[in-house]
Amino acid sequence: MLELRKDIFADERDDNLNEIGKGTQRQDMLGHVTGTSSFFNDHKLQGMLHLKVVRSTQAHARIRRIDTTEAERSAGVRRIIRGADVPVNLNTLLSLINFGKDDEPSLAVDKVRYKGEPIIAIVADSEREAFEAIAKVKIDYEPLPAVFDVEDALKPGAPVVNETYPKNTFTYHETYDHQRLRFGDADAALATADHVLEQRYQMSPIEHAPTETNGAIAAPDTNGRYVVYTSTQALFFSVDTCAKILDVPSNTFHFIGGTVGGGFGGKVDTLTEPLAILGAMLTGRPVRYMFGREEEMQYGPPRGAERIYIKDGVMRDGRVVARKIRAYFDSGAYTRLSSYAAVKCAAHLPGPYTIPNVYGDVYCVFTNRTPATAMRGFGVTAMDFAIECQMDKLAHLVGMDPMEFRILNAYRDGDMKAHRREAKNTALIECVQVAAEKAKWPLREEFKRASSRKDGGGSRAVIPPTPTDSSRARSTNPVQQRTSYDRLPPTVTREPPREPPPTVPPPPSPRPAAPSHGATRFSSVFGTRRR
Amino acid sequence: MAVTVKTFPSASEAAGALSSDRSARYLGGGTLVMRALNEGDISISTVVRALDQALTRIDASGPRITLGAGVTFARVLAERDLAFLHAPARSIGGPAVRNMGTIGGNLFAPTPYGDFTVALLALDATVAVQGGFGARDIPIEEFLQARDRQAGTLVLSVSCTRPASSEAFRYRKIARIKPKGGSVITLAAHLPISGGRIASARIALGSMAPTQIRARAAERALEGRSLDAATVAAAASAASEGTSPSDNALGSAWYRREIVGVHLRRLLSGQE
Repeated sequence: MLELRKDIFADERDDNLNEIGKGTQRQDMLGHVTGTSSFFNDHKLQGMLHLKVVRSTQAHARIRRIDTTEAERSAGVRRIIRGADVPVNLNTLLSLINFGKDDEPSLAVDKVRYKGEPIIAIVADSEREAFEAIAKVKIDYEPLPAVFDVEDALKPGAPVVNETYPKNTFTYHETYDHQRLRFGDADAALATADHVLEQRYQMSPIEHAPTETNGAIAAPDTNGRYVVYTSTQALFFSVDTCAKILDVPSNTFHFIGGTVGGGFGGKVDTLTEPLAILGAMLTGRPVRYMFGREEEMQYGPPRGAERIYIKDGVMRDGRVVARKIRAYFDSGAYTRLSSYAAVKCAAHLPGPYTIPNVYGDVYCVFTNRTPATAMRGFGVTAMDFAIECQMDKLAHLVGMDPMEFRILNAYRDGDMKAHRREAKNTALIECVQVAAEKAKWPLREEFKRASSRKDGGGSRAVIPPTPTDSSRARSTNPVQQRTSYDRLPPTVTREPPREPPPTVPPPPSPRPAAPSHGATRFSSVFGTRRR
Repeated sequence: MAVTVKTFPSASEAAGALSSDRSARYLGGGTLVMRALNEGDISISTVVRALDQALTRIDASGPRITLGAGVTFARVLAERDLAFLHAPARSIGGPAVRNMGTIGGNLFAPTPYGDFTVALLALDATVAVQGGFGARDIPIEEFLQARDRQAGTLVLSVSCTRPASSEAFRYRKIARIKPKGGSVITLAAHLPISGGRIASARIALGSMAPTQIRARAAERALEGRSLDAATVAAAASAASEGTSPSDNALGSAWYRREIVGVHLRRLLSGQE
């Protein structure tokens, strides 16, 4: 079935690839199909104890009192672990790359911020005995108002989910409450566009649903070290996260992973390893902590839900002249990786198209929902879904074929992208052409002849004059032809919930006015690098 | 306290063990009980099993069929004489669940499960149970109404009359994920025709109440009539009467009430 179209861009490639285009046996395939691959949970260690956590029944509540006296006396219980027993009980995943503030405890102490948040860990001789002890833990909650909607969370007076971020937004560059992209004058272009289409897209959280649930087994080793069998899909990341939370050097651990029973982004959060190791440290015995299926589905971190508003201006000839986007990433109660997803999203706008006026505001928002994390292209997938739905609707609006409409608006080599980098190695036009050919979708000759390497650059390489937000008076709604497209009233104009004060400097990623290439790319994504 | 497994040679001994121990559960195929144990259900301390051959017997030769409570869905599907039950059997889980899951266990499966029971309810099945006071037969409707109080009894078998024709019994499961999803709504209709008129129609619904229920108003709309468009429309508009669905991840109560009539209309009019 695999077909490599080597005729396309043939002159750009040395055709000496060793792997691509060839059938290669996965190295783990034989073990998987014969059922002999060994997973972390296949290790049954002598004297192994089992750890289970007491989870919050409340979405948002102050913890008044935790009574474990009965649970401590429950049969088979070896140790009860509280937040105070965790050496560094506040962490954020990306602190390892100096991105974000520590905001999440391993075990909640004074407050719970989502339903299912771990509060107490119980280490017992068997899972059953751990479950029986869990039933005996009494927690006195003082319920607090909860917020589950990203836009509600940004309203003045909304409940503060996570005190580390009192505005319910992740803080970028220690200053900004969202990621911002400004390129040209989108409002002016919208005012003169032939058609304007505004749509709202709402995604749902998606659980990775791995066959093997999250888990780890930690066991004391010689020389004060601990061996850890784990399902993690980010082994070295997990090592360093555990070292930080447990306040020991990372060479204290010997992590053994490699065979992951389904990850897809759902096994990077290092949820089970720190408590399993702490259990082993406190009892001197091997300790296993593995999510049950319901835990995995309900409290394992999902792909975050995004809410996206797109407002596009399009001319009768099919050119998209403005794209204005507001997106809200639901991070849940804590920062796992949604902060980074918002950065990726902003860097991706306005999709693979050359649009002369682009305006983007992307928020990473805290709500009292299960913390969201990585999942396959997170940050981009949902936005692409919204953008491509929008492209179909725009094509329909101007009466153009959707494939040809994409070719017309596709970026080409030499074009200036909205984040002020020159487009190189673009291939959307060729992809659309091949897709049309395979689908026997008729394209007109001029679109068949289009090429990513022709007609780019020139005036399309210019960075247009871009007003800063502070220099612009609040724009009034421009009078123009508006077209209602589907059920949603497209004319509802929503503005960002919190306009920054005028003293805030221009966009968060100040860049030279000319295309710059080279070394600053990475640090421009991870903002708190020294700049 | 550890979980104890007790295995008995006869169904009656197993029934005795069940009725004397509040924390005991009968293990059929394990698709419900083992899941509960693995997820930490500490209300179960004793697992009761029976090796009785009678529990796995199928009698499908005559006009009235009897299925032992331990008969799996895979076995129903392998039985040519049970063709009228193949659609409900196939609608349950995937192959692994059908290989293990049993007719008896399905009677206890909570919403959104228990699809086979919807079919049995439409077919006016009889449930044979063994309790502390001996064996008796209970109409399935009565059994389901008192299901929460049946914990101490052991289901031995289920029997029902074979529908007169393949047209007379219809079944449909509405699921979001095919072929393995839980039920949004499950519908079954038994429509005996006598002299061109429907007589003693039974329509059963799953996921429209805490247990499987009959759509009595819809049944009344069909009674004594021929299955024409007007009759179908009348039954469809009465479909949600007397139901009390709830919200779950697969659908809201509102949605279920809205669509139950649509799907009943399609079922009765033979529409795909």
